[in-house]
Amino acid sequence: MTDTRPNLRPLIADTPAPLARIGERWIPRAAFLADVQALAERMPSARAAFNLCQDRYHFAVAFAAILLRGQMNLLPPNRGRTTLAEIASQYPDAVALVDGPDAEIAIPILRVSACGEAGEATGPIPEIPGTQTAVLAFSSGSTGAPTAHARSWEALHAVSSQALKAFALTGAPAPTLVGTVPPQHMYGLESTVLYALLGPTALLAGRPFYPGDVRAALTDCAPAVLVTTPFHLKACLRAGLEWPSPARILCATAPLDPETAGQAERVFGCRLDEIYGCTEAGAIATRRTTREADWTTYTGVRIHAGDDGRARVQGPQHPEPVPLPDHIEVRDAGHFRMEGRLADQLNLAGKRASLADLNRRLNAIPGVLDGVFIPPDPEAETRGVTRLAALVVAPERSEAEIQAALSECMDPLFLPRPLVRVEHLPRSATGKLPRQVLLDLLAHHGQCA
Amino acid sequence: MASQTAFEQEVGQLIVDSLNLEDVAPEDIEPEDALFREGLGLDSIDALELALAISRAYGVQIRSDDENNRQIFASLRALSSHIEANRAAS
Repeated sequence: MTDTRPNLRPLIADTPAPLARIGERWIPRAAFLADVQALAERMPSARAAFNLCQDRYHFAVAFAAILLRGQMNLLPPNRGRTTLAEIASQYPDAVALVDGPDAEIAIPILRVSACGEAGEATGPIPEIPGTQTAVLAFSSGSTGAPTAHARSWEALHAVSSQALKAFALTGAPAPTLVGTVPPQHMYGLESTVLYALLGPTALLAGRPFYPGDVRAALTDCAPAVLVTTPFHLKACLRAGLEWPSPARILCATAPLDPETAGQAERVFGCRLDEIYGCTEAGAIATRRTTREADWTTYTGVRIHAGDDGRARVQGPQHPEPVPLPDHIEVRDAGHFRMEGRLADQLNLAGKRASLADLNRRLNAIPGVLDGVFIPPDPEAETRGVTRLAALVVAPERSEAEIQAALSECMDPLFLPRPLVRVEHLPRSATGKLPRQVLLDLLAHHGQCA
Repeated sequence: MASQTAFEQEVGQLIVDSLNLEDVAPEDIEPEDALFREGLGLDSIDALELALAISRAYGVQIRSDDENNRQIFASLRALSSHIEANRAAS
């Protein structure tokens, strides 16, 4: 007989460590709970709510209030109006919890401005059924509308406890999480929000962006754990600044090369651990990049090669084995090497997209007769970020109109640069578009411009 | 179009070089036009790249909690005057 009891799990860890830092202020857990309860009371009944808050404290309050109301956090892959509308069509009663001024969306909004000043909650820490779906994280699938990946509250508890142990974040003094990643991203959610909710660490409400911001945050929040991406880490290293030493650096979203990892460990004077994860499975493994090329799974997480050539992972947080979106060479159940991405997957500055999905969206724009995105040469990425290019057949539409339509359904990072209008695409007899022919056409355009 | 000052031309060249804007000539950047979203259509990745180039060239650290961060990147003119006002004395 299946056990259907809800398996209650606490909303936050019972620890004296503060939950957050806003500017110069530490926010105690009881003050956070008061903010959560106040917001939960303002929320309408529904199955789910968008959590679009950009400030990490606002996001955490909204995240917890959504759980407290028995709802799901909808985390879209980008903020394009078309993307949000596609998800909203599946959850017509969902409101959007927002904190920014730029909410031009066709969804009812509820503003979040909590700042730890609503008093202190009394009484026991609320408990949430472990089986409750806490998060629906959307990725841009290769076909159709964004694909939802559900994570239960007990799954998020499991991965958080694995990670807190793996990165020794349970001891004193409790570090502060300084994150350069948005909380809507699965890595950002786990490493900059859940570690603070479910462990004795505090989250920094702000999102340092420029190297000067990161340095100031690390100085203000010592001991700090820097939660970042290869993209941001390289920017910090290129800035040529003197850095305060964090307790540790965590890095994810794209593989980091050992040279950059070594440079980071020297310049920051601390160890750097990479996390391997994906929207589909969450974080599952780690490696100390300066010492090992293979990944070691978190405690209790096992990996195996699938019959179809795709590796699958399963741990306490996965009710079913989850196929991974990369080429994986399995060493044993607890170790693997990542050999590269599957052909359709793009990764620019740590953001993932499906090439097939981008092409489908380009060709869905009224007036676009044919069009194709051209990914950058992976070898050519020397510094900064190399963008996609696109060739488009659209005699009736301007480049600006096409760019505007694309920006409604994809992250700005994937907007083509350049977007070149041509009379027709050089399709082969079988309809294929050989990459070299496309590159030649692009180069030809460059000479004519 | 409004004419660029000598320093605006220099910063315009820095923008084009650091962001690999192959289709843009520095002298064609309207000094008062928006640099981001509209105008040149730059985004946050560009802002970070540009901040690094400005730091290396002029020793000026861009900070996002500067109250006037939006204004700093508002236009070539605003960016140039921010750099001029904050550059390390040489």
